[in-house]
Amino acid sequence: MVQNILEVNGINKAFSGNYVLKNVSFDIKEGEVHTLIGENGAGKSTLMKIIGGIYSKDSGTVVYDGANIDFTSPIEAMNNGISIVHQELSLAENISVAQNIFCHREPKNKMGFIQWEKLYQQANSIFEQMGVDIDPRQEAGNISVAQQQLVEIGKALSMNSRVIIMDEPTSSLSDKEVEYLYKIIKNLKKNNVAIVFISHKLKEVFEVSDRITVLRDGEIIDTMNTSDTTQEDIIHKMVGRHLDDLYPQKSKKIGEVILEVENLTSSGVFENINFNLKKGEILGMAGLVGAGRTEIARGMIGADPIDSGSITLNGKIVSIKNCRQAIAHGIGYVTEDRKLLGLFQTMSVRWNIVSASLKKYGTALGFIRNDSIDSSSKEFVSLMDIRPQNDELNVINLSGGNQQKALMAKWLCSNPSVLIVDEPTRGVDVGAKSHIHNYLRRLADQGIGVIVISSEQPEVLGLCDRVLVVSDGVITRELDNNSNDLTQEEIMKYATGKGL
Amino acid sequence: MQREKVYNMKNTIISIYRKVVRKLGLHNLALIVVLLVLIVAMTIRSPYFFTFANFEVIFSGFVLEAIMAIGMTFVILSGGIDLSVSSVLPLSAILVGFLLKQGMPIGIAILVTLVVAMLIGFFNAFLKIVLNVHPFIATLATMLTFRGLALAVSKGENLSGFPEIFTNIGQGYFLNIPFPIWIFVILIFSMGYLLKNHSYFQQVYFIGYNPHAALVSGMKVNRFFLFVFGFSSLLAGLAGILAAAQYGAAHNSYGIGSELKVITAVAIGGTSMVRGGTGSMFGTMLGITFMAILSNAFMMSGISTYWQDIVTGVMLLLAILLAESLKVKRSANITLEINPA
Amino acid sequence: MGSISIKTATEKKKNKRQSLLHTREASLIIVILIVIIAMSILKTEAFLSLNNFEAMFNGMVFDLFTAAGLTLALILWGIDLSVGSVLALTSVITAMALRAGVSIPISICLGLGTSVACGAINGYLISRFKIAPFIVTLAMYSIARGAAVVLTSGYYLSGLPDGFVALGRGTVLSVPIPVLAAVIILAALGILMKKHNFFHQMYFVGNNPKASELSGINTRAVIMTGYIISSLLAGVAAIFMSSRLAMGFSGFGLLAEQRAIAAAVIGGASFSGGEGSIQGAVLGVFLLALINNGFVLLNGSPNWQQAVSGIILLVAVGVDAYRSSKRRKG
Repeated sequence: MVQNILEVNGINKAFSGNYVLKNVSFDIKEGEVHTLIGENGAGKSTLMKIIGGIYSKDSGTVVYDGANIDFTSPIEAMNNGISIVHQELSLAENISVAQNIFCHREPKNKMGFIQWEKLYQQANSIFEQMGVDIDPRQEAGNISVAQQQLVEIGKALSMNSRVIIMDEPTSSLSDKEVEYLYKIIKNLKKNNVAIVFISHKLKEVFEVSDRITVLRDGEIIDTMNTSDTTQEDIIHKMVGRHLDDLYPQKSKKIGEVILEVENLTSSGVFENINFNLKKGEILGMAGLVGAGRTEIARGMIGADPIDSGSITLNGKIVSIKNCRQAIAHGIGYVTEDRKLLGLFQTMSVRWNIVSASLKKYGTALGFIRNDSIDSSSKEFVSLMDIRPQNDELNVINLSGGNQQKALMAKWLCSNPSVLIVDEPTRGVDVGAKSHIHNYLRRLADQGIGVIVISSEQPEVLGLCDRVLVVSDGVITRELDNNSNDLTQEEIMKYATGKGL
Repeated sequence: MQREKVYNMKNTIISIYRKVVRKLGLHNLALIVVLLVLIVAMTIRSPYFFTFANFEVIFSGFVLEAIMAIGMTFVILSGGIDLSVSSVLPLSAILVGFLLKQGMPIGIAILVTLVVAMLIGFFNAFLKIVLNVHPFIATLATMLTFRGLALAVSKGENLSGFPEIFTNIGQGYFLNIPFPIWIFVILIFSMGYLLKNHSYFQQVYFIGYNPHAALVSGMKVNRFFLFVFGFSSLLAGLAGILAAAQYGAAHNSYGIGSELKVITAVAIGGTSMVRGGTGSMFGTMLGITFMAILSNAFMMSGISTYWQDIVTGVMLLLAILLAESLKVKRSANITLEINPA
Repeated sequence: MGSISIKTATEKKKNKRQSLLHTREASLIIVILIVIIAMSILKTEAFLSLNNFEAMFNGMVFDLFTAAGLTLALILWGIDLSVGSVLALTSVITAMALRAGVSIPISICLGLGTSVACGAINGYLISRFKIAPFIVTLAMYSIARGAAVVLTSGYYLSGLPDGFVALGRGTVLSVPIPVLAAVIILAALGILMKKHNFFHQMYFVGNNPKASELSGINTRAVIMTGYIISSLLAGVAAIFMSSRLAMGFSGFGLLAEQRAIAAAVIGGASFSGGEGSIQGAVLGVFLLALINNGFVLLNGSPNWQQAVSGIILLVAVGVDAYRSSKRRKG
């Protein structure tokens, strides 16, 4: 009878009043590969960080190897045998692979000097355990990303981890490297290491895991043996929810094409992006985090360089080499990272609102027309219902929802004919969310083309007239509101791969 | 047959090259080549160049900066910088001189001065750790303050008349090599060895490259910064003591402009200021050699040493630009931090 | 959620006035007044004399230019350590041109052209190659000073034409020309920073360069402009210094950076960018000049001047770091 190495019971966790995990319970057996799957925001990342000692839980218990534990730091968790291999690798590139594995726990003599031969030996034996062949003497910066990931796994093993949590381990791997990873995982299992595999790539999940647990909106939906379920079943469990949020009515009148994107390519990031946008419609870009949607948008507005492709606005091909030109041509991009890239946190709401339209508020000689700014600022504050209404407040003092509204106001002020919004309601409360949705629909009705990038399926379905599903830098599917295929399942199907 | 031989030779040369690059690093290799070319060129110009006596002069003229460069290497590796060394030097020279003139035993005078220097380094670290001041601002401010203190305390006067045993440290020889150079050689080899082989010192590569990850891995990052800045100031203090011993006098104008030379030597050696965790003591050794030869070349040719200031400034910029372009863009695993709530 | 309040025009003006009292400039004016009152009581005859005030204003006028320049660099989230050296180099080039018989206007242009070139190099390396401003301007600090000394071998360059010297020593309605120039130029700059789009963008760029790029601001042009103006102001100071003292000298502007940084930071500029003003810098220079004056009149040892100056900078730096972290927390 295989023992449970880790048991999680009734975990609850909330961030500033928002419940992220509700009564989560599941278990992991020794030597099994257990996949945690769910959409973005389902709570996988939070759950994993609680197990790994990065976050603390509000309530519930974690039982590890038979004992109740409450790790207060990641190093404590690691010392006890639970390691996380994060998506962002954190190796020190200028020192050896072996040192990165042991990370300041190198074998040393009494005086503190590193015993190099012993170090390399130990590193080699760990690699042997994994079935990997990497030279531990070389600098960590000289190996491929896939190999670096293996070094991180080696690091976990060096601490005698019994549970290794892998967070989206295959996101930067080629197909061949993924196959290689499967082999390594098999070897780890042989050594009785349990692996929590966090991924949204169903094909891989079914290849490598023993059991699958589905999380949705912070709750465990089901845990099943991989052999007892199918990909459709998983998708259904991932998304099966009642869409009881009220969304504004879909478009009544869709006009001619105002934007055409042809063969947009940035090698290694996205390829041959082709789509168009019609007047009056809200076009959605669905997909999972890391699919490349933000990169596509940034390529369109000139924030990142592209290799090839063209953009046609109202029948004319436009050249967009930087954001200035994009704004001049009437394309606005509302970034997904409002805190760091979107707003000037320690400047007032007023200045933020006009920050993308500064030229408009200057006289011919360039002098600032403060009265104009005053009235525009007031106008947008009330239009977007930003609270508190004092536009002299620094943006940093606003709540998340109001900051998002301020960010939207900034781009509306630039008078765009095409507005791309990236994750418009992330971290935003229900009231503000609804307001933003209604406003986006109003914009579309006024003839402004709206593209919504969102990882929230209900939002995509509720708000958009047409949806492009993006996966791994390519558009895998186009779904229409008029046909009957605009469903969460269809989106998830094409977001997790090129169809089943 | 001939073609095969040539082909084999080519392959062995390439594999030797690869091995050397792996062991030394591309940057260091390039630097060694440049140095060799420079030395050869200088020797052709004047055979006197490649003599023991001349090399003694070359290194003697740069030994104080060289000692400070050892400490600066650690600071820059850890991701910071220390501009205050050029002020700790004169302050230490004046302090040790003052203590000696008060009749304090030499050993104690030196010890006290070193401790004071170290405390200044701790203060720099304090500004960073507690008040979150960026090291360049913090050490700029302390540099200006302590140079002012050096002036104030010495009243601008030259302090001299030190006991002979003391000045011997600065002016004496052992096996035909001046004591200060011995001190430098011992220091750089031991610190270089420690940096490469001791677990505590190797931390700097982790902390410099990714301080947050280092913290999460359990390294005591703040304590390490205390060590790094304390050590840099300590060596600057040592340099000041040696200056007082060498010249038999202490003046508040010592060390002006040395911070730029020290930083440039370290930068030439490949220790990057753009991202911590890159560099080596070996590289610094090469950088010191380069700067020492250059410094000497200026002196020999009678060109104003202020030309040296110009050239040093230009070289610092070039060193940074070149070091960045030599480095192949490594796997930049920088993803946008996405806030959960 | 906040209550809905509609502010009338008069209410808004009242709020502005109230917040004005809390500004950095207001606090500085209060401190300045306190120091003036204290000095007036302690050393009435010495302090409250025309000679003293004249000397003080004449001494601080050059710092006004360099502090303003530093303010721009700080607003841009950078720093300019080269202002003193650029001042020296400009002084030397101008003097050399004058002594070679070049006409006064052209000599001045050559001098100012030099400072513009230095600023352009700084700005280019910083904005295009993204090398840290302190490294770039530290290198320029050494290069410019070195060039100045090399060109003159350290000697004074005297024998400058009377027309040129009149610039620095002459008066208009009994106001020294340099002071007048400072008032005009800095007032203009202050207005531009507040009221002109392109200059005002410096606040955005220094606050958040990436967001500025995305907002369509030409960050490269803005940064170049900032550093060019900073060096240009140092150059203007050099022209007046050279003309008043009737010489070009490579030793001008020593430690100018220290006073300029302290004045700028006291005046409200921050090392974390996006903050600061010309008027604040002017007040900062004034306050520092007053403190210095007080120091001298109270028979403070001149040997301690630099140390005191350094300590003031340290305190300013510490306070700025504290305020920055508070600001980031909102």
